[in-house]
Amino acid sequence: MYVLGIESTAHTFGVGIIKDGEVLANERDVYKPKAGGIIPSEAALHHYELGPAILKRALDKAKVSLDQIDLFAFSQGPGLLPCLKVGYQMIKFLADKYDKKIIGVNHCVAHIEIARKVTGLNDPVMLYVSGGNTQVITYENGKYVVFGETQDIGIGNLLDKTGRRLGIPFPAGPKIEELAKLGKNYIKLPYVIKGMDVSFSGIETFVSQMIEKHQVEDICFSLQETVFAMLMEASERAMAYCKKDSLIIAGGVAANARLNEMGKIMCDERNARFEFMKKEYAGDNGAMIAYTGYLMRDYAQDDLSPKPDFRTDAVEIKYR
Amino acid sequence: MKIIARGAEAIIYEDDDEIIKYRERKKYRLPEIDAPMRKSRTKREFTALSACHRAGLNVPKPVKISAEGDKLYMEKIEGEQFDSAFSVEKMSDVGVLLAAISKLGIVHGDLTTANILVKRGQVYLIDFGLSYFSKKDEDRATDLFLFKNALKSRHPDDAKKAYKLFIEAYEAAMGKEFKGIETHLKDIERRGRYHENG
Repeated sequence: MYVLGIESTAHTFGVGIIKDGEVLANERDVYKPKAGGIIPSEAALHHYELGPAILKRALDKAKVSLDQIDLFAFSQGPGLLPCLKVGYQMIKFLADKYDKKIIGVNHCVAHIEIARKVTGLNDPVMLYVSGGNTQVITYENGKYVVFGETQDIGIGNLLDKTGRRLGIPFPAGPKIEELAKLGKNYIKLPYVIKGMDVSFSGIETFVSQMIEKHQVEDICFSLQETVFAMLMEASERAMAYCKKDSLIIAGGVAANARLNEMGKIMCDERNARFEFMKKEYAGDNGAMIAYTGYLMRDYAQDDLSPKPDFRTDAVEIKYR
Repeated sequence: MKIIARGAEAIIYEDDDEIIKYRERKKYRLPEIDAPMRKSRTKREFTALSACHRAGLNVPKPVKISAEGDKLYMEKIEGEQFDSAFSVEKMSDVGVLLAAISKLGIVHGDLTTANILVKRGQVYLIDFGLSYFSKKDEDRATDLFLFKNALKSRHPDDAKKAYKLFIEAYEAAMGKEFKGIETHLKDIERRGRYHENG
């Protein structure tokens, strides 16, 4: 069975093709704002303009033609509505044209499913860290439950906002990571854990007032060490509370080596397993949508409209 | 001394009728963050427990803090953990107990069913490691919000009914003060990301 999946929740437009659960192609292109943060209509335009070429690249790579595809899957949310609409319209067009079924996939659930597949961990806690999302997700009673999350902005958003103030272009994460390695002096920042949740907006304000008073390297170092430690604490709490013995980190920020190192140390200390996610599957990608669409192939869905606020726990997991 | 639990934050030892909560060093955390945090949390927990215990509330009686500042000694409560011994009927008692703690100006900060013990039919609140002193409506509302979520994730089938009993008892005990807390609770829920109905 061939499944084609489209991811278009935010910056990334991705097309993945899988055959019976194995990835054949995973192509993408990432919209980069010229200045400042993401402009949803501009990102949507990027997806709209580049979409057909990325689709073609994926088909070529997988060596399949559109009429061979048995099922079309798209990222239904959460995400930015203009971006979600591009993926939906493209899938709708293709499915109608070839008279095939459509599956709407929850973006966060797709991150977990591809992570479970590529790491082989059956029941991990997932720390999902991207621009807009910061969630600690666990599986309980037929659903993926958000055990803890940010009460305000996403971690990537915090890094990008701080990056902009420091003159670092989007996405700021990689450059902040590089500068952090050169930082030596820890500057005390607020460390905000509220039960299972974390909060970043206070830190964002605090850091904005530090700029020009401290070395950029020290700011980056202190910021990373503080917010990553908060994320680790939230993850460890989920593991202890839900009695899970493995952790994966997914999302764009999962590319950060220091965050992964902390995950490894934390897991080693509690005799849990930590598996590193390949960048290809950690960030937003079409393969995860195609793969989750494949898992959900027997679902009957009434509502396929894009859902900007699609909750992780709104999906009933019938295939596990 | 034997280990009875290994939580995310601390190792819990039992020594006869005493419980020792040891906040171990977290190697993933920078020592500059980790060391002062473990001490301040231990101290804060001691202070909160002392205040509750003096007021006659059902919490462990704190005994002392170790010289290094990372071990908290408390009297043991011979009870069952409420997350495994869960019963909806006890939720009103939890509401009354939390209200009494709120009135002392303490926010628990980590209200889950794992942090409640049941001993001879009575509920006890434990683990004040993330507690702080505040009488602000917004802070008090955080406890309610976290507890509601904890119920949903840990006891999905009973969560609705359990929360209803809990919040009714809490409201009755808080009296006039509840209105402001409720407003903030709704506000937090609205701010919460990707909540139901957009």
